[in-house]
Amino acid sequence: MAVSVAPKAPAATAKGTRRSKRGGMAIAERRAGLLFVTPYLIYFLILQLGAFAFAIWVSFHHYDLLAIDNPFVGLRNYARLTVNQDFLIAMRNTTEYAVVVVILQTVFALLLAVLLDSKIKGRNFFRSTWYTPSIASSVVISMIFLYVYHPTGLLNSILGLVGIHTTEAYLTSTTWALPALMFLAIWTTAPTFMLMFLAALQDVPKEIYEASSVDGASAVRRLFSITIPLLRPVIFLVVSLGVIGTFQVFDQMFIMTSGGPLKATLSVALLIYDNLFKDTGTVGVACAEAIVLGIVIFALTLISRRVIDTRIEY
Amino acid sequence: MSLGGSQTVDSEISVPIAIATMPAPRKVKDTTERVNALEVVVRYALYIVITLFLFIPFVMTVLSSFKSSAEVIAFPPTLLPSVWHPENYLHVLTQIDGFPRMVFNSFFITFAAVALNLFFDSLVGYAFARLEFPFKNTLFAIMIATMVIPGFVFIVPRYILLLNAHLVNTYGALLVLYFLQPGYILLMTQFFKSIPRDLEEAAIVDGMGWFGIFWKIILPLARPALLATGILTFAGMWNGFFDWLLYMQSREMFNIQLGLTTFRSVYQNQWDLIMAGSVLAILPILLVYIAGQRYFVRGIATTGMK
Repeated sequence: MAVSVAPKAPAATAKGTRRSKRGGMAIAERRAGLLFVTPYLIYFLILQLGAFAFAIWVSFHHYDLLAIDNPFVGLRNYARLTVNQDFLIAMRNTTEYAVVVVILQTVFALLLAVLLDSKIKGRNFFRSTWYTPSIASSVVISMIFLYVYHPTGLLNSILGLVGIHTTEAYLTSTTWALPALMFLAIWTTAPTFMLMFLAALQDVPKEIYEASSVDGASAVRRLFSITIPLLRPVIFLVVSLGVIGTFQVFDQMFIMTSGGPLKATLSVALLIYDNLFKDTGTVGVACAEAIVLGIVIFALTLISRRVIDTRIEY
Repeated sequence: MSLGGSQTVDSEISVPIAIATMPAPRKVKDTTERVNALEVVVRYALYIVITLFLFIPFVMTVLSSFKSSAEVIAFPPTLLPSVWHPENYLHVLTQIDGFPRMVFNSFFITFAAVALNLFFDSLVGYAFARLEFPFKNTLFAIMIATMVIPGFVFIVPRYILLLNAHLVNTYGALLVLYFLQPGYILLMTQFFKSIPRDLEEAAIVDGMGWFGIFWKIILPLARPALLATGILTFAGMWNGFFDWLLYMQSREMFNIQLGLTTFRSVYQNQWDLIMAGSVLAILPILLVYIAGQRYFVRGIATTGMK
């Protein structure tokens, strides 16, 4: 600070010494960089890389949280998954849930974003209220939907208003429980992805639309031939995040249905939790299940990239 | 669809001019106006239906929180409470075992995690954005790549790790897991890259150290990104449930969310308490959302995280 009022000549020498110290400064910068990045390095080495390696190690062992000796069992934990009825049921439920939820929430989110990407009055009001389901916690959403799906709750009340009188208990019905949870997921997640689509839509140059409207393209045609192709990268992101989220669905199942009725809503994540805490000696199995789940998610992300990212040249 | 929007706005401006200047083609103009008016009505009807669809459950939850337990699920249903019961909220706070403690736990962990993330996410983000050091690009690539690893892969090893570190059933477990978050490091990195280098170069000439530059010059400029990181961390931590379920075993360590799930089993069918508890659990995050909506939206748009 004192240097700032120095006359011309000393400033020049200061510059000279700075130049000679350039090597020293680069070292200072490297040292600072390494120091600043250390928190992430620790996080990565212990909580990511170390944890991942340990997960694989545990999955090859008969592991119990309280046992002193955990014998090596090779691939047995994995092999058993192929004949484990609970795992197969959970995998089928989870896949069914993921496919329906990812497709519908992506479509719904895109629809919401397209509706908001127009010069309509009250646009900010609509955006704020539409986003509300996404800020509530999974627990609050679950509590609200316990009330919605109650035999005399909100859903059946609304159905009653339009002349459909029913006291169906959705969450204890093997037919309705899983679709009920799918609906909840779409309702609560679509607004998050709506914001991502909306941000991407606002980056689309408006001239493209103006040119096409001169050409007489209809709104629907413009959506499919201009908007959606331009949004491919965001669609890929939304689908991947959807796959990652839905394949690990846990909270609603745990809180609302405990996986029932008759395992109709048993998800892989819920099964992993049960293997970890409720059953004994199945920690290794839980790890194997988690790793298989991780591989499935990874593979599906790659596939969705292939499907969505087929390049179109303009 | 966006064409419809621009047309309605255009017509609002152009109609008075059209009427004043050229009355001749009015007949033609009229029919298109009527089509537009109909379109506006249809559009607004659609917007209102969607608003009801996405918002009514919250309105009904708030209204239900003032009803008696029986009235919440009464058939035929009521819209407004026949008798208002504001004391439901008092009952949640006083009659439910340990509820004030759960509120404290929620706030404590949320604020602690926000503070830690503001510091560490920006510190690491600054290094990635501005400083040259060995393996920088490799490490940055690793950070991006590992962001897509499904969290469930880490659950068992992290649990065993924290169990052996005697951190299970302590605040430490959650603070170790969330003292930084790669998604927000990325957000900070991208922001720092957009700040012009002039100020730093002046500070280097002044002989300021790198931490001084980061702390005194860069952080004050990073307010928008820090707000986005802070608000999204607040939301994530406040809404946390699964980690609390895993790591917190005794009731005095629960947060509001985990505590709320026990209402159902402990206070069987006490719908008034469940609804009032839900409103209390959503209230802080709703206030943060209303106050910081701009940053919320920006953060989600750039990181894709909630």
